[in-house]
Amino acid sequence: MPLDTRRLTGPESSQSPYNFAPVNKLDLTQLDKRPDGRSIKKLRPLFLRTNVVSQARGSSYIEMNETKVICAVYGPREVLRREDFSLKGQLTCDFKFTTFSCRQRRQYQQDSQEKDLSVLVLEALEPAVCLHKYPKSQINIFITVLQHDGSALSAAITCASVALASAGIEMYDLVVASSAAICGSVTLIDPTAQEEDALLKATVKPDNNAGSVTVAFLPSLSQVSAISSDGELSFEILNKSMQECVANCQKLYPVLEHTLVKHQQELEAGRS
Amino acid sequence: MGDAGLSEAEKTFILHSVQDDFREDGRGNEDFRHMELETSLISNTNGSARVRLANTDVLVGVKVQLTPVDPERPEVGRLEFFIDCSANATPAFEGRGGEELGSEISAMLTRAYAFPGAVDFHSLCVLPGQQCWLLYVDVLLLECGGNLFDAVSIAVKAALFNLKIPNVTMTKDEGGVELDLSDDPFDFKRLDVSGAPIIITVNKIGHYHVVDASEKEEECSLARLMLGVTEKGTITAMRKEGSGSLDPNSISDMMEVNTRFLCLPGI
Amino acid sequence: MAGMELLSDQGFRIDGRKPNELRRIRFKKGVFRQADGSAYLEQGNTKVLAAVYGPHEIRGSRSKALHDKLLINCQYSMATFSTQDRKRRPRGDRKAQEMTSHLKQTFDAVVLTELYPKVQLDIFVEVLQSDGGNYCASVNAATLALMDAGIPMKDYVIACSGSHLRDTPIVDMNNLEESSGGAEVVMAVLPRCEQIVFLEMNSRLHEDHLSGVMDHVMVGCKDIFNVLNQQVQDELCQKTQLDKLVTTG
Repeated sequence: MPLDTRRLTGPESSQSPYNFAPVNKLDLTQLDKRPDGRSIKKLRPLFLRTNVVSQARGSSYIEMNETKVICAVYGPREVLRREDFSLKGQLTCDFKFTTFSCRQRRQYQQDSQEKDLSVLVLEALEPAVCLHKYPKSQINIFITVLQHDGSALSAAITCASVALASAGIEMYDLVVASSAAICGSVTLIDPTAQEEDALLKATVKPDNNAGSVTVAFLPSLSQVSAISSDGELSFEILNKSMQECVANCQKLYPVLEHTLVKHQQELEAGRS
Repeated sequence: MGDAGLSEAEKTFILHSVQDDFREDGRGNEDFRHMELETSLISNTNGSARVRLANTDVLVGVKVQLTPVDPERPEVGRLEFFIDCSANATPAFEGRGGEELGSEISAMLTRAYAFPGAVDFHSLCVLPGQQCWLLYVDVLLLECGGNLFDAVSIAVKAALFNLKIPNVTMTKDEGGVELDLSDDPFDFKRLDVSGAPIIITVNKIGHYHVVDASEKEEECSLARLMLGVTEKGTITAMRKEGSGSLDPNSISDMMEVNTRFLCLPGI
Repeated sequence: MAGMELLSDQGFRIDGRKPNELRRIRFKKGVFRQADGSAYLEQGNTKVLAAVYGPHEIRGSRSKALHDKLLINCQYSMATFSTQDRKRRPRGDRKAQEMTSHLKQTFDAVVLTELYPKVQLDIFVEVLQSDGGNYCASVNAATLALMDAGIPMKDYVIACSGSHLRDTPIVDMNNLEESSGGAEVVMAVLPRCEQIVFLEMNSRLHEDHLSGVMDHVMVGCKDIFNVLNQQVQDELCQKTQLDKLVTTG
């Protein structure tokens, strides 16, 4: 291949400059105050609003400090392929981190982690949607993480359930999700990316616990619709942090309710 | 999965059999089916294993390859899972039909093996900061008869146990270190898999918890809880699957059922 | 291939076989319960699994149905760990697609397709370990799987490969012999009526040698046929005897 001499050729392989930056030494086990000033049991403030994508049937935007997720719901619409006929409606979910949302640049194409998260979101929402009311049709959910600062999965689930509700999809209940990171004997509620990162790098003793849990909860039915955990955890700790997450979900529920009431009021105001 | 096409009457029959703790094939709710396990089957691999759990048949081959380390984690080796759902198992897997199930299983395995104690990741690093072993764990699904995740995880653990990693000699050259792979088939090291997890799935059928469900029983269950558990009794990955939802207390109960099966994975 | 002799002066091949000697063949029919027919076959170090589903209703678009005969659908895939170097994809590459169409052609010629109009038959072949002669082992395994499924055929289809080394024809080549760059003749035949249903040759072979190699490959196919047929008949006899015991009480 002829070499373009006018062009500066970079090195064949390159590395992210972050690899050479000093590692943030965040010791999660000795933590009385978290980097953002919260106590370990405190959730981040939640900002929710609906009707952010005008073309979509329903949409919502969630902000938990630096974690920002937007979600759009389209449908119910006809299933295109005839073989996919079913009396139950179909729910699809497309989870995507924007290329600039994380510390490392993400690719445009969905990678395996995003596919995995799509399935998890879907599993969290399916039990809440009255799918039998939508025969022969599908409902598409598109989730985009604009900025990822920890707990993206729980933010996405909460956001998607509000978007579904604002689209007028019939549901048994809203889905609220909450997550926790566990390091040793400390349980951090609603971890940030920095804390999640420190957890991965933490050198805990083999018998110690290090991991994270995300729980999706249907508050008025008091049912867990999805639960997922990473890392090595003992049975008792996992059980305990699951209960904590459930309690936190219940705390968040009024915020969702309030958002939807406001959405409805706006709708009616627009009509009159 | 869930493709057996059961009628309502058949579903009721299974529901009742679970209620009586006496399932279709004569097992109790917390009994596993008979399992066959073979190792060292495929000579082109560095380690292989096959598990047959009643009608579920899984073949795993592990190949090792030297690669540059991940700059994010320069002191450890890597594991990569790939699940191929062969059309031999069911015609529905033909072409790309099995990809969805395959990626689901590999995601679960990746998560279950993501904690530092799963295998000795440090021993997989040949030259810190430069070269490490990449273990390709390739799973081939030959027949599906229910409880795939458990069977796959057992086969993976067995194949890693069977793995022979060739020894590497390092010689310092000017301008770098040269790596030499040993040609001698008996010059190898093993991988410690005592910390490796296996996946145990508990299905909720009616109000009862059932392990090692057959394909028919899986179709009757609305929700199942999959846990990656280690010999020590720790939980390394958890996931709820299925269209139903669960009571928080029932999740704790299912977790307890899970941990009762820890003595099982003795290879 | 420097330093390695594919055929020694004493007339032995690299794995110690004589030029017209086959590799060891072992097989088992009916290895799966869910498939309508299945077979596992080992030819030396090449290990192949075949499964047959059908005849059943056409899956997917109905326009594929043939109004006067059976539609045969094949899929050839290789396990990612089957070769020396790891394969990235088990199927879908050019070679697998070619293999798939070859298998389809081969079995279109032997299955009595006119007996099953407007339906479909699936033949799935999975190579678990590859050491040369993948096509041959696949055809032989699929034949056994079709028999296990009870699909009517004109005859066994047996495939075998062969080449010409140092003025000697050799049969049933292994991976080393295949990759040495010499000529390779692959034939699938109906051994009892000596008809060729598939013939392929790679690389260069002198015109004068072709018929010699083909003769030897034909003999190789017949040898394979004898091995397979012997065991199939034995198993059948045993089964009928057992059945007789059952019926007579």
